[in-house]
Amino acid sequence: MVCLTPALLSFLFFFLYPVLRTLLMSFYQVKGIADGMSLWEYIGFSNYINLIGSQLFRQSLINIFKIWFIGGIISVFFATLFAVILTSGVRFKAFWRSLIYLPNTISAVAIATMWTQYAYSNQDFGLLKSLFRALGIRALADIQWTGPRFIFTSMLIAFCFGSVGYFMLILLAGMERIPKELYEFSRLEGASIFVQFTRITLPLIRNVFRTCIVLWSVAAFNFFVWAQMFSPIPVPETITPVYYLYNVVFGSSMFAAGGNINVGVGAAIGAILTILVVVLYSAINLAIPEKKLEY
Amino acid sequence: MSMTNLKSILKKDAPLTPVYILLLIWLLFSIVIIGWIFAASFSTTREIFTGTLFKSGIHIENYWNALVNQNFARYFFNSFVYTSTASVGIILISAPAAYVIGRMKFPGRKLLINTFLVSMSIPVVMVVIPLFAVMIRLKLIGSMFTLIILYITSNVPFTVYFLTGFFSTLPKELEDSALIDGCSLYQAFWRIMLPLAQPGIITVGIFNFMAIWNEYFMALVFANKTELRTLAVGLQFTIQSMRYVGDWAGLFAAVIIVFLPTFILYILLSQKIIAGITGGAIKG
Repeated sequence: MVCLTPALLSFLFFFLYPVLRTLLMSFYQVKGIADGMSLWEYIGFSNYINLIGSQLFRQSLINIFKIWFIGGIISVFFATLFAVILTSGVRFKAFWRSLIYLPNTISAVAIATMWTQYAYSNQDFGLLKSLFRALGIRALADIQWTGPRFIFTSMLIAFCFGSVGYFMLILLAGMERIPKELYEFSRLEGASIFVQFTRITLPLIRNVFRTCIVLWSVAAFNFFVWAQMFSPIPVPETITPVYYLYNVVFGSSMFAAGGNINVGVGAAIGAILTILVVVLYSAINLAIPEKKLEY
Repeated sequence: MSMTNLKSILKKDAPLTPVYILLLIWLLFSIVIIGWIFAASFSTTREIFTGTLFKSGIHIENYWNALVNQNFARYFFNSFVYTSTASVGIILISAPAAYVIGRMKFPGRKLLINTFLVSMSIPVVMVVIPLFAVMIRLKLIGSMFTLIILYITSNVPFTVYFLTGFFSTLPKELEDSALIDGCSLYQAFWRIMLPLAQPGIITVGIFNFMAIWNEYFMALVFANKTELRTLAVGLQFTIQSMRYVGDWAGLFAAVIIVFLPTFILYILLSQKIIAGITGGAIKG
């Protein structure tokens, strides 16, 4: 059992103890992050009630829901499309696969900077600006991609562009495990590519889809870097719960009104996100029960 | 290549034309973005704004400026220390645990696997506040150990999970024969099983290396001094200041400095990296 002890201690230190303490803390008013429990003041559900009452926090929940739902559909759709493309006998498959996965291997800070300071830039050198200008499409060339109106859409597109490769890889690995004979038999029976996809591929990779939905949900709920890179100062258009928490607990901006820092609010945000994850997992388990597939 | 050969290739690929167009657009987009930023990083801010990149030659001083004046040499060193130390530490803790879970039957084994599985999906914001408090009380805030400890402990469940699957597929006979030959279980692990599990350990090691190198949230929270910052956090702070100063050439040089290490690693090891992703996400 000597072998297991360090791993168990890691788990206790990084997961079990902090989760329980955060949960407890969410029912208290806590002035300093390092304050011992004797300094905490019990306030029941006040932290939760105040959060739900805050328009900015409600907006952050709406934003991650939009990221989760709209972004999820876009990412999984394109990931499936590229996975099908790469299994269709296209040339240089390994190259395309590596290319589409590439954004996932680079720091999100660097990728997001490439988008905000070059692709979406309002300066004359901005990629989209100069491209649409060269094509003579004034209406598109004049769009302020990182202005209040489009910033959420711009951010979501950039985020999805990077995510597609990750889900494509996972779906691809699932599709490659399906025996080739199934496709050959069905082709002899006269099935079209579309029928093959809906009748063979989709049912056989349902567990992989499930994994994708779970992984996407984790990414959407923890959404932070991109929001901070697109809006260095939190604004309603791009705020997310993690960004909100970062500002309440670790930031020093307008959130700490009158020096009234309450770390308990941050703990409540953590608890709300965790509860959302649990609810979502249960929903996924009900909607797509895990099936043992033999093939 | 003979004409008939070429014709048969064209015939086979013809239905895939729209697919190739889509892939080529993706490729072109990637090349333009990376290529332009690369070019801009060697030019002056004036040239970037007038659309005359490279006009006055190559300006390597942008990189010198970023590495020395903007502390990127230090950030690079920090990222390297955090990432390499933590990657090794994770394996030292996870491999023995995965070996025991993968090879032996004991009460609570299933519960243990499920516990590790669940802990992988706990949002980091659910644990970060108490961890910060612990680090303050241990007087570790302001030391590089903070992030190393956090990077090790946070990645243990995934690594144990990944390696458990790997150990359980190794042939049991080898281990049995080692035990018969008088090896202790401990020796059997270090001498026989660990070398056999090497491909799995390298795969998960590279995966962890990339994940820690690019980690952002904990680095932002815990490395709260210039001397402690990682490349990603350093870049974020630099961008904010350079935007106000208006040093776009320097900004793009900083982006390339952060971009290149993992990009090169990825080009060299893309097969291994891809195997790590699919192996971790798809259960056997």
